[in-house]
Amino acid sequence: MKKKIIVLLSVIMIVGLIATGCAGSKTSTDTNEVVVAVTAPFTGDYAQYGNAFKTATELKQKEINETGGINGKTLKLEFYDDKNDAKEASNIAQRLVDDKSVLGVIGNFSSSASLAAASVYESGGLVQFSPTASHTDFTKQGNYMFRNINTQAIEAPMAADMVVNEMNKEKIAVIYINNDWGITAKDHFIEAATDIGGTIVAEESFIGGQTQDFTSILTKINGTNPDVIFIAAFYSETGMIAQQLQQLGYDYPLAGLSALYNEELIKLAGDTVEGLYLTTNFFPSESDTIVTDFLNDYKEAYGQEPDQFAAVAYDTLGMLAKAIEVAGEDRVAIRDELAKISDYEGVTGNTTFNENRDVIKTMRILQIQDGKFKLFK
Amino acid sequence: MFIQQMINGITLGSTYALTAIGYTMVFGILELVNFSHGTVYMFGAFICLILMSTFGLNFFIAFGISIVLTGALGIAIDRIALLPLRKRNAPKVTALISTIGVSIFLQNLVMVLWGSETKNFPRVIATKHIQYDSFRISYLQIIILVTSLVLMLGLTLFIKKTKIGKAMRATAQNIEVAKLMGINVDFIISFTFFLGATLATVAGVMVGMYYQSVDPMMGFMAGLKAFSAAVLGGIGILPGAVLGGILIGVSETIATGYIHSGYRDAIAFGILIAVLLIKPTGLLGKAVQKKV
Repeated sequence: MKKKIIVLLSVIMIVGLIATGCAGSKTSTDTNEVVVAVTAPFTGDYAQYGNAFKTATELKQKEINETGGINGKTLKLEFYDDKNDAKEASNIAQRLVDDKSVLGVIGNFSSSASLAAASVYESGGLVQFSPTASHTDFTKQGNYMFRNINTQAIEAPMAADMVVNEMNKEKIAVIYINNDWGITAKDHFIEAATDIGGTIVAEESFIGGQTQDFTSILTKINGTNPDVIFIAAFYSETGMIAQQLQQLGYDYPLAGLSALYNEELIKLAGDTVEGLYLTTNFFPSESDTIVTDFLNDYKEAYGQEPDQFAAVAYDTLGMLAKAIEVAGEDRVAIRDELAKISDYEGVTGNTTFNENRDVIKTMRILQIQDGKFKLFK
Repeated sequence: MFIQQMINGITLGSTYALTAIGYTMVFGILELVNFSHGTVYMFGAFICLILMSTFGLNFFIAFGISIVLTGALGIAIDRIALLPLRKRNAPKVTALISTIGVSIFLQNLVMVLWGSETKNFPRVIATKHIQYDSFRISYLQIIILVTSLVLMLGLTLFIKKTKIGKAMRATAQNIEVAKLMGINVDFIISFTFFLGATLATVAGVMVGMYYQSVDPMMGFMAGLKAFSAAVLGGIGILPGAVLGGILIGVSETIATGYIHSGYRDAIAFGILIAVLLIKPTGLLGKAVQKKV
């Protein structure tokens, strides 16, 4: 009996290992295929973002292949799980650089992982096109780094404008996540906000994934009497902050960045995030045929609404495919063509690269009303 | 503001204390630092949440079932990952590494089964609070503190007064001699793990409800803090776990409130190191003569 249980559990463990470890398996490619790699966290703490990349790029791949592929060849995607780990990301980068069939890479998800892998892609001369890495230093790592999201140098000042001019708040308390992204966002936000007449009354940090208790930070902030609390963090901690504010009996308007645009925030925090303002460059209910087509196709394929991560990954593959179509199967030419792309009409708006291979996208303001994200402006 | 910060600190401390009790009990019996404790804590909270959300069970029933299930998991951990090592007389550090392995396995299992995103844990009991002047204390905060005190007292009595408690202490002192006295030490050790896992579940569910959220990584930091609390109070000593937990919670809160939130852990752990330098056995620990 004891033996049986041990055997059963070993089997479960092995199945578990296979289930978590097979995301990067590779099959042989033939010459009728154009290969693009997608590297993102498909397991681990940030798996939901990697899966948004996966579903959206697969949808785009299907569309491209149904309309004739790239120059008559089938587009093939290969997925590599970087677990949002810097070491893993650069190992994968090495593997992809050495694999000559790979023409371009979409990834990584976070700024930290993207930065770690950048030098490998740069020296190997392979395009690293991150849909989401918004750290200002990322594209400064070399000529092969591209991004498809506003940097915090662009987004945070827009958020400052939203807080000071749209919400009409002057005394601002800032809570930020203590990592590359959070610190850049906070710095740019504070700089812009003080320029246009806001006053920063508190600046508090926390460690993502570790801090669960915000009561001491919030009690301290309450002592400074702010008009608004601005949060530079992701949805999970923002949800906890909102809930703990309510538990403490404090009532302050909240504002945040596009990183909060995730249905999970409302599921997690319910009515405590009601009235929260945020910036975003993708909003599903816009009356634009490209957007509505994407929405319907995505919903049909996966039975749920796409979030901004899915939307931006979808556009990223679209842009890369366009560059490959013009340049042919040559890594250097693909880089040059990608850099030339201008006015790409995608689901996240009109996209052009500037000379640093950064994008500038128009942003909108959303507010959570009646448990839903609504367009404010 | 000071009083509110003290309330915040004591509550945070009692969540550490709640977790630290299980840690310290397993150590007291086995002299084994059980690193899977934090993960079992997370696992218990998840099971309770899934039973409520997917199966629509009432909170108290879900809580009860999750305690039994994780208790069984505790026994399974011992039988699969630790008993074979004991049978071969492996050094204690091997068992410690084995518990780390269990912890990584469980964490990833939860992520595969239920996803890695943070989930809402509904606050179903004790939703009211007492408002006095400018500060408030919620019933749940009081319940968390009281639970950790009750568990501390109950377990102390259990270990001191019952027959099985006596057997546990005998096993703690000398496994070989305990065996010669007719104690089924494998049963006692499994039972200790069962008890440890149920304590972890009580803590996980309470903390999950207090913060209204659970995620697969929640056990890691909680485990580390609870372990520190146990060491600070004197590892193996139940009242020490509660004292250590509350001290760490309060010092963290004071550091955040009056210095800067960026230094909260640095200051809390600085205090921990300072105390251990002065009193290496922890606040309530007594120097024990080493068995020969």
